[in-house]
Amino acid sequence: MSEKIRYGFYSGCCFQGADARFFDILREVFAKVDVELDLIEDAVCCGSGVIEERSELTSLAVNAKNMAHAEQMGLPLYTPCSTCYNVISNAQKRMKEDPAVHAQVNEILAEQGLEYKGTCKLTHTLWVFAQDVGLDKLKERVTNPLTGLRVASYYGCHTRNPADIQGYESADNPTSLEDILEVLGVEIVEYDTKDDCCGYHLAWPNNDLNMKMTSNVLEGAHTKDVDLMVTSCPLCFKSMDGTQAKALAQTGKNFQLPVLFLPELVGLACGMTSEDMMLKYHGVPVNLRL
Amino acid sequence: MIEKITPVRKSILANIRIQRFTPSEHKSAYFDNFKVSVETGMTVLEALRLIKNTQDSSLTFRAFCRSKICGSCAVRVNGKPVLACSTQLMPILEDFKKDSVSIQPLKNMPVLRDLVVDIEPVIEKLSKMHPYLMENRERIPETLEEESIMSKQEHSRFDYITDCILCGSCYSACSAASADPTYAGPLTLGKAYRFSADVRDSFQGERMQAAVDQGLWSCAQCRKCINVCPKDTRPAVSIQRMRKMSIDDGIHDTAGSRRAKAYTGDVAKYGQVNKPMLPVIVNGPKGWAAIEAAENYLKKHGIEPTLQVCTLGGQSSTQKIYDKVKELESKGENKT
Ligand code: SF4
Ligand code: SF4
Ligand code: FES
Repeated sequence: MSEKIRYGFYSGCCFQGADARFFDILREVFAKVDVELDLIEDAVCCGSGVIEERSELTSLAVNAKNMAHAEQMGLPLYTPCSTCYNVISNAQKRMKEDPAVHAQVNEILAEQGLEYKGTCKLTHTLWVFAQDVGLDKLKERVTNPLTGLRVASYYGCHTRNPADIQGYESADNPTSLEDILEVLGVEIVEYDTKDDCCGYHLAWPNNDLNMKMTSNVLEGAHTKDVDLMVTSCPLCFKSMDGTQAKALAQTGKNFQLPVLFLPELVGLACGMTSEDMMLKYHGVPVNLRL
Repeated sequence: MIEKITPVRKSILANIRIQRFTPSEHKSAYFDNFKVSVETGMTVLEALRLIKNTQDSSLTFRAFCRSKICGSCAVRVNGKPVLACSTQLMPILEDFKKDSVSIQPLKNMPVLRDLVVDIEPVIEKLSKMHPYLMENRERIPETLEEESIMSKQEHSRFDYITDCILCGSCYSACSAASADPTYAGPLTLGKAYRFSADVRDSFQGERMQAAVDQGLWSCAQCRKCINVCPKDTRPAVSIQRMRKMSIDDGIHDTAGSRRAKAYTGDVAKYGQVNKPMLPVIVNGPKGWAAIEAAENYLKKHGIEPTLQVCTLGGQSSTQKIYDKVKELESKGENKT
């Protein structure tokens, strides 16, 4: 039995409603590669970059709190959500660059007996698989290579921008997602709209624009005749899968492109079934010839 | 100990793919390939000049200062907007592990010829943002002898964005600007914030209205503009701050401002955003239709819908953070 890799699991806000299934899916898929998630019990929502529109200090303080709990657990903070990753990493950077802000945040946290030391390491699904687990081990665990599947890979924006929120790989030419996909056996297809934003965070302030942006990205992949799109971001997944029908209808397009959240595809390649991955809950039906 | 550093000089025979287009001659853009021996230290601009001087004198691009200050030389290299004069080719070839690189004009602006785009439409959007100071009588002294002095902290609210050289890189990277031609874009909203955040300014209301009208809430906060800006002016951060100002002035009630209030309030209350109720909170009574649709979707899949927010464990202690921040902010003691 090999050593388990453990993380402080920061769950974020995205797995509510039908998406609550992803809690179980993530744990089961990670178990396949000897990863264990310990929930950070006292966490709060990162604010999604929206709390800054009311108070930057509040956002910094709640995210310092989240990191402080991970520090107490002595584990790296893992979040499956790219936006959480972005916001928390940004808070970390801001406090590192400005010691006065860091001190003030700790003054706020002191009231609940917490301190954010600044040592917390942050990571995301991409780098858990590609670096901590490693491609070799992942390859070992792939029992059902997805050969012949034509896949459009989609990172989304929040693990990439700006460049200094992560130190895991090149920001201009990231390859972690494609590296993982290659190990799963799929054929990776290049497409023009890969670097474009799906507009998820406009869902409330400007839904029409969100739909246009989502539709643009989907169309770019669709014209390359792919079987499916895979994204490492659960919010992009919501846009691409959950709102796909609406986005395409509103922009006068007529096709269906199945979209998978990266852990789902990893699970399938590691021998789990469509039922295990609860694919029936997808907005766009996923009928893979596995 | 003094270490002697010997710079490693490398050279790669690279294929430079350049997008070409003359509107009066071509139906659509195409690529030309040029072989260039790329040396360590060679900039994109030097490569373009070399090609123009030795291989194809018709190649058209724009550059002036060669010092990252005039903003005229921005192009896309392997898809990313950069300043040609301050970007070296070798690290890009190494990063992409290829001996080929593409150079294209900026996106989201009409191409005049080859790598030259027309930035005028963007400047027009900028001019509608009232990008100038209207004097604030309370901060501008009566006599010429006195200076209008601002504190370091006041200055730091906008100092970082005064470096913008209007190169258009951020505008090119912005997917919201691609999808919505009426959206003002990052640099224009950044500039609007720069003037609105200046304590010497008194024009806030009209400029704010211009920002709201031109898409203050159309930014997706993808943060690509921060990534590509050669001057580190962080437009997306300015947009967040401009949004805050627009909410604080109490006039601009928008779906975006309602979302901001809801998220902020919810996190204090539940430790979590109240997603099930968000449609009604943001869109009023017509949001019930969306909630109903979501419930039907869940029922169809055998899940019992609930309007209960799923709280997070930190819920009980969050209010303390809010109270403390409020106290600091009300005394003007916050360091952010
Ligand atoms: S953060 Fe906003 S302004 Fe900047 S590129 Fe993204 S959508 Fe455009
Ligand atoms: S904000 Fe930065 S990228 Fe945008 S125009 Fe100004 S200098 Fe260029
Ligand atoms: S030539 Fe002036 S900024 Fe590049």
